[in-house]
Amino acid sequence: MTDIAITKNGIIVVTLRGELGNHEANRIRTQISSEIFSGKVHGVIWDLTHLGFMDSSGIGLILGRMRDLAPQNGETLILNPSATMEKIFQFSGLGTVVRHCNVEKAIGEIGGVLHEQ
Amino acid sequence: MNNEMTLSFVAIEENEALARMTMTCFITPLDPTIEELSEFKTIVSEAVTNAIIHGYDCDGKRKVTIHGKIEDSKVTMKITDEGNGIFDVDQAMEPMFTTKPLLERSGMGFTIMESFADNLSVESAIGQGTVVRFEKTFSPVTEKSRMR
Repeated sequence: MTDIAITKNGIIVVTLRGELGNHEANRIRTQISSEIFSGKVHGVIWDLTHLGFMDSSGIGLILGRMRDLAPQNGETLILNPSATMEKIFQFSGLGTVVRHCNVEKAIGEIGGVLHEQ
Repeated sequence: MNNEMTLSFVAIEENEALARMTMTCFITPLDPTIEELSEFKTIVSEAVTNAIIHGYDCDGKRKVTIHGKIEDSKVTMKITDEGNGIFDVDQAMEPMFTTKPLLERSGMGFTIMESFADNLSVESAIGQGTVVRFEKTFSPVTEKSRMR
């Protein structure tokens, strides 16, 4: 249901499908965290293009992983949420990391920022 | 259309999806828009998750009950647990407030529910449980929007 891929330059792409509630979030949390702690990860892209439903558990999951990424100054981008999900992200202050684009473009954005540093 | 139903289930995480699906099916005959439907589903999910996690600490024994009523295009829902209760409802409803940060609860549940519901009320007493009530009126489908 959830695909977790890592690019060569250390960006995790999490592709979510189906529904993301408390139960589903609890099942994938550790997996994503251990990938982040495994080494040179400097960004997480959450691809929600194929996600049918999300509640505030999704916010908890994403904010938690942003915390995991903080020591390495990792970046987070959220791609293509539905209109309802986008409202939830805005309520939670995550509106600024929402993008409507494909994964390649998002990888480019994170890669680009890193290149400048 | 008028209709009424009650759903009751033990407090395990797996039943969050059951509650979302069942209540979504219940209101489908109202022909809601995709956004109205997903907002409704989100409110139910937040309230049920709260009841399971905070009300009952996922004990798998006690039951969450959802009562649903449809009167024309208005849906009224009541989500009840007989669990821990909320110490301070006003504080619980503040954005980002959570008693379970270690479980990565974002504290956004009530904010989301209040934004997506037409009227939301929370009644709670320590050791007696919590009742969340809300209404949501769905836009009547016009011939034009049906043809789209």
